[in-house]
Amino acid sequence: MDREFIRNFSIIAHIDHGKSTLADRLLETTGALSQREMMEQVLDTMDLERERGITIKAHAVRLNYRADDGNLYQLNLIDTPGHVDFSYEVSRSLQACEGALLVVDASQGVEAQTLANTYLALHHNLEIIPVINKIDLPAAEPERIREQIETIIGLDARDAVLASAKQGIGIHEILEHIVHLVPPPKGSLDAPLRALIFDSWFDAYRGVIILVRVLDGRLRMKQKIRLWSNGQVFEVEGLGYQAPKATPCEELSAGEVGFLFANIKTVSDAKIGDTIVDHENPAAEPLPGFEEIKPMVFAGLYPVESHEHGLLRDALEKLRLNDSAFNFEPENSVALGFGFRCGFLGLLHLEIVQERLEREFNIDLITTAPGVRYRVTNTMGEIVEVYNPTKFPDPSEIKQIEEPIIDAIVITREEYLGGILKLLEEKRGVQKKFEYVGGGRVMLTYEMPLNEIVLDFYDRLKSASRGYASLDYHFSGFRVSPMVRLDVLVAGDPVDALSLVVHRDFAYDRGKELISRLRRLIPRQMFEVALQAAIGNKIVARENIAAMRKNVLAKCYGGDISRKRKLLEKQKEGKKRMKRVGRVEIPQEAFLAVLKVGQGEGDE
Amino acid sequence: MSSLPADCPLPRYNQKRVPGVYVSYPFCAQKCTYCNFASGVYPAAVELQYRDALQGEIRAHRWDWRPETVYLGGGTPSALAAGDWRSLLGEIPGRPWLEATMEAAPGSITAEKARAWAECGINRVSLGVQSFVETEIRRTGRKHTAQTVAEEMRILGEAGIANCNIDLIAGLSGQTAASWRESLEWIERLAPAHVSVYMLEVDGDSRLGKEMLAGGARYGAAETPGGDATADFYEAAVERLDALGIARYEISNFARPGCQSRHNLKYWKLEPYTGFGADAHSFDGHSRRRNPESVEAYLQGQDAETSPAHIEEERFFVGLRLMAGVCPEPDEWRRFAAPIRRFLHTGLLETAGGVLRLTSRGVLLSNEVFQEFLLS
Repeated sequence: MDREFIRNFSIIAHIDHGKSTLADRLLETTGALSQREMMEQVLDTMDLERERGITIKAHAVRLNYRADDGNLYQLNLIDTPGHVDFSYEVSRSLQACEGALLVVDASQGVEAQTLANTYLALHHNLEIIPVINKIDLPAAEPERIREQIETIIGLDARDAVLASAKQGIGIHEILEHIVHLVPPPKGSLDAPLRALIFDSWFDAYRGVIILVRVLDGRLRMKQKIRLWSNGQVFEVEGLGYQAPKATPCEELSAGEVGFLFANIKTVSDAKIGDTIVDHENPAAEPLPGFEEIKPMVFAGLYPVESHEHGLLRDALEKLRLNDSAFNFEPENSVALGFGFRCGFLGLLHLEIVQERLEREFNIDLITTAPGVRYRVTNTMGEIVEVYNPTKFPDPSEIKQIEEPIIDAIVITREEYLGGILKLLEEKRGVQKKFEYVGGGRVMLTYEMPLNEIVLDFYDRLKSASRGYASLDYHFSGFRVSPMVRLDVLVAGDPVDALSLVVHRDFAYDRGKELISRLRRLIPRQMFEVALQAAIGNKIVARENIAAMRKNVLAKCYGGDISRKRKLLEKQKEGKKRMKRVGRVEIPQEAFLAVLKVGQGEGDE
Repeated sequence: MSSLPADCPLPRYNQKRVPGVYVSYPFCAQKCTYCNFASGVYPAAVELQYRDALQGEIRAHRWDWRPETVYLGGGTPSALAAGDWRSLLGEIPGRPWLEATMEAAPGSITAEKARAWAECGINRVSLGVQSFVETEIRRTGRKHTAQTVAEEMRILGEAGIANCNIDLIAGLSGQTAASWRESLEWIERLAPAHVSVYMLEVDGDSRLGKEMLAGGARYGAAETPGGDATADFYEAAVERLDALGIARYEISNFARPGCQSRHNLKYWKLEPYTGFGADAHSFDGHSRRRNPESVEAYLQGQDAETSPAHIEEERFFVGLRLMAGVCPEPDEWRRFAAPIRRFLHTGLLETAGGVLRLTSRGVLLSNEVFQEFLLS
């Protein structure tokens, strides 16, 4: 198609601000899908995505739209993940577009995530069309939100579309805005091929399927292509676009968006952000912005049943086929046996992998407390990266430790400031900016250690703000910090899986708290169990779990044996879900107790 | 079998097929707060209907064996008119039975009633006393006093029913070491042949248990002693009763020599028994049968559920409840070698002369032991 009639755009929105509904409505209006097919939101295909209302994988849908000017336009809607963990993917999706709809809920206003993604879009020079959605709701205040978009983002919102995706209000206007405001793609048809990979996934029949935006030249069936970052060469075996059903085609040319498959075996070969060039006539330069994604958050994953170790490895390998952002390596815990140290983009990413393992692969998991990557300089002057507390070198061999630091933006309502400032303080945050952004809302910019975010920060933020706070952050560098490893001893034996790295100044309090939490989580055993927290050889906290005094069934109701058997079976089953460390049975929750440390005692 | 000692308490299979009969009468004047049994309060018409259904079920039974014991359990079977029991018991062969027990709520036993019971074959009464301390009794919803119990035991003795059991519950709301001692002193004073001491079960099936689990205060839930205190009370009872010559022969049961409940022993020794009525259980040596649990389902004539017995496990998790212990066979010693060794080592089990039994500490932690004898 003539590039003059192509528009590539994506939708930027906070969770629940109506992105999926709007996308559905656009599909419906342009005739891409019938009402019946709309029954289910089509863009989010994974179960998990639908349940959490989060788009995890980006997708691209081609819509054909006959505009008021009489021309037929090809609109490519490129979906983006809506969570901070996936900001790299978001930036690549945005790179594939010339424009973006900024959807803001007419009663909720601009949230931190929206803000960050809008900045990303502006960075890529995208034309941004503000859409104030859900104007049909009684609490809608479109004028206030319009003002907010102008103050917070600095965007002219005079022409913002007032819409209700649910009611079908403003849809036509949005489509016309896309046609008239979003510029047609640039790039040259005759230049050597350059195509951006902005998503990929594994299909059992086709191998890896890649979503591409062609920037220059043409992509054809049977063409020999080369992936810039690793130099691998493949032959295009399938080419097409989603409309939203997969539709094959012979060629995708500059400006167009579509999918290809080329017998690529793993997604880690087709890296997001990489450039596809022609093998015979390669372009001289790749597209800008490619980065190897590096996991930020690490946790140990262990099967509850140790014989499921092989099963877990197979499952992780399968997941990795589809998710190049996470990695894993075998690790061995004295307490938990054989498992894997896994790296994730962030906490949500961790949760998603964990849930998929449990749900799709049916593996009972123990996840150790998430941690971050430390840069440790030893006394020899060598720098080692440590992302497993148990691998922390002996304190005597450490010259300095650097921890990852993030810039965090929190947007909230004034009335929750007290609790949130206290939380940020407690989490070792340093305030950079404090801005009133209108309508009783405040935007906070903080520098904080990532380590403090991975330990229960989201939950705490949510409860401190009753859900009215949004968070966005990005990695900003490393900083020297006096970190120490806190060990936990159960009945005298160190339980490596319970170790955590904390700031020296908090070590004593957190040790005490962790021990008292564990005392409540570990059931009484047949003997008294001592719980201790230690830094090196120094015990900083100790509590005892008294021995179990009684576990007995009194009565034999008229010869009812089954009642007894059921109770015994239930108790026995409960024990199976615990990990036996030395002589002590430790429930799975205990390994996550570490997570809750630092949130005080009054919550149970 | 010949390899077993002659006085072995529990041979693997029962040779002696002399069954017991259990008759369920799940009706009460009020539901006690601690009760987690399928019994309750119903309109009088339902009771009548039930009585007829029960009569029908017993009459229809084909008696392969001549019953040795009869146990009328509840609910509150003592509340049913003596005349009704006469006709119900008339359906059961074997009178005079070696032991025929009536469960009774104190406060309703008259001389006339006692005589009538004796006439229809009852020779043992189990009194649901639970406590002799008035504050404790009231909180359970009961109305009797210690004096009532004393008077009714006298009445029963005069009617020829001297063989009485007294039920006590350790762990009732408001109970203290001192109040518990008071109840035990009443045992000394009344000198029953048999005592049952049950530790309060806290579960969602009783009103008190539910309230405790929810952290509420109704039914005195907030003043209910904890598990540790309950265990202390129980152990104090074991000691005190032993001093009175009432020895523990099962986890919750204590008796003077020769006064053990013959009927209940059948359960623990895996001897056969047949149950009639709602939620009544039967065991024929091979399979277990359970009548419909609710009165309604029973009256609708729903079928009983039958399932195979797992003797090889029950021998242990039922049999070990007896202080006499069990006599594992060579293959069982092998099969359970690991847990047996562990529990001998940790002092929950003891063994002598081929007999395996719980220690005193093992009794209180018996579920921990029993679990290991489940094969699944």
